[in-house]
Amino acid sequence: MILNIISILFFTAILYFSSSPLVFYLLNGLSICLILLGLFFFLGTSIGVIRFPDFYTRMHAAGKGDTLSSILILFGIALFVLNTGTLSIGLVLVCIKILLIINFIFIGSPTATHAIMDAGYGTEVKHWTNDSEGIKKKK
Amino acid sequence: MIWQFDILLLTLVVVCGFVSLWIKDLMGAVIVFGAYSFLMCLVWTGMGAVDVAFTEAAVGAGVSTIFFIATVFHTSRTIRYNKWDLSTKFFSSIICILMGFFLMVAIGDFPAWGDALSPVNNNVAKYYLENSMEETKVPNVVTSVLADYRAFDTMFETGVVFVASLVIFTLLLQSDGRKKLMKSAFQKVSFLNVSESLIIRKACGLMVPFMQLFALYVVVHGHYSPGGGFQGGVILGASLILLSMAYDIKKVFARFHMKFMIKSLAVGVLIFAGIGLICLILGGNFLDYSALSKLFPSMGSIKSRYNAMLWVEVGVALTVMSGMFAIYTSLSSNGKFEEGL
Amino acid sequence: MFEYLITNYNYMVVVFLMMMGLWAMIAKKNLVKKCIGLVIFQTGIILFYISMGAKNNSTIPIIDPKYGEAAINYANPLTQILMLTAIVVGVATLGVGLMLVQRIYKEYGSINEDRILEKFK
Repeated sequence: MILNIISILFFTAILYFSSSPLVFYLLNGLSICLILLGLFFFLGTSIGVIRFPDFYTRMHAAGKGDTLSSILILFGIALFVLNTGTLSIGLVLVCIKILLIINFIFIGSPTATHAIMDAGYGTEVKHWTNDSEGIKKKK
Repeated sequence: MIWQFDILLLTLVVVCGFVSLWIKDLMGAVIVFGAYSFLMCLVWTGMGAVDVAFTEAAVGAGVSTIFFIATVFHTSRTIRYNKWDLSTKFFSSIICILMGFFLMVAIGDFPAWGDALSPVNNNVAKYYLENSMEETKVPNVVTSVLADYRAFDTMFETGVVFVASLVIFTLLLQSDGRKKLMKSAFQKVSFLNVSESLIIRKACGLMVPFMQLFALYVVVHGHYSPGGGFQGGVILGASLILLSMAYDIKKVFARFHMKFMIKSLAVGVLIFAGIGLICLILGGNFLDYSALSKLFPSMGSIKSRYNAMLWVEVGVALTVMSGMFAIYTSLSSNGKFEEGL
Repeated sequence: MFEYLITNYNYMVVVFLMMMGLWAMIAKKNLVKKCIGLVIFQTGIILFYISMGAKNNSTIPIIDPKYGEAAINYANPLTQILMLTAIVVGVATLGVGLMLVQRIYKEYGSINEDRILEKFK
């Protein structure tokens, strides 16, 4: 929570004190890299949700990958917003709003996954074991 | 408007709607319907209707899905199949195909998608866009049209929310439920029946204050950014719904009595209509806010319109918040007000 | 033909959504499915209004000095506010519908239309 605020302040300070085009390209490249990494993790999440055999493993894939990839994409977008046009207080404000969204996803998404898992455990959804039907079909 | 993106989204919307009607498990159908609402929200952002998208994300995807889940929870989840009823299906298919055929024939007469010169975009809408900034000093034209130019419309729609939540509250309340309600909701409870997980409770306790703060920001900042009374009210209601899902309905009733909820439901409409009446008394038309400048001479007519809009939004937010919460408590506890989902 | 498809695609989707909603409301026997059909029909109508107000090369209807004051640069606010209130009113009326479903289940023990009619006789 504090870490991403500090990092955004760090990037703001870099932009504020240096006006060389190298910083501009560096930040743009960083944001593109973060967004692409987030999209890659989203792809992994969706493959995991489709391919995993039972409810619990699917929720595991969805919860972990979803949280990480949304955080990466939003951080990339925050850097991108910081980098558009001249630096002003409004842009930093937009950045801080995006950071707040990151924090709430960081708290909310694992909790929602936990709640769904808990509900599944409460209603006795069956576990996947080695001799379940999914394996048998493949053989 | 990017037509490639919109065409992709609209196709996905049709697929989602079809799946939610076709799927056999009712809970699954409701969840797919939530996804349908989120896709609709994206479509509206693509078409430049950010306020509508905001409302749809809060209302369509959030609250109405909860209402559906509450109903499925209290009725049956599976669909009972009866013998193949050919005549009804055949008859309804013929009606739908006929309707679709006639509408498809009529499509050619409509203005093209995204045509800026069509009659819809040129008469009164053009007036609002060009004169709203001068007449009210509100940059968000949607807010100024909603709360000022067409406030009459909005007032009665707030009234519909008021009446609907009263109807749900009174019709679902059972005769023996009324006594229990007097015990549980209208008095402070001393014990809490908490059985949920500790993680959920702590996380919700952390989130709810920030949600309410954000909702107040949305209400107050509606003049400059997407948002306003309806969206902020729904988010406030959703924060109370989250609290009552994480803990218990009684926990929320201990903070906000049902009596208080119904009062604030009425007070919201009263604020809206009352401002209109004050305008009438001061010699203007009903809901003509520029007449308020006689009451406060320091404000000009523009400034008084600007400020009256804020109060109208606060009234709308009060009504919508307590309306959503009253509907949720009635539906999720099946009229007993003892425990929710 | 391709041009016609692009410039009228939104109306086609509206017609499809309305057909789906109407079919669900008439043919489906389950009352919750009927409610879903009702909301799909409603979204079709909302889509009709919003897509009428969309303009090519325009931005959201918040006046910004960057985009000037010409009305052609902003999307149509009028259709948006009509539909914004329609969504909120729609969820309130949906609540009334679902309340009736719960009442019917309490009274007749089923949300299947044929079963209810049998018990009604």
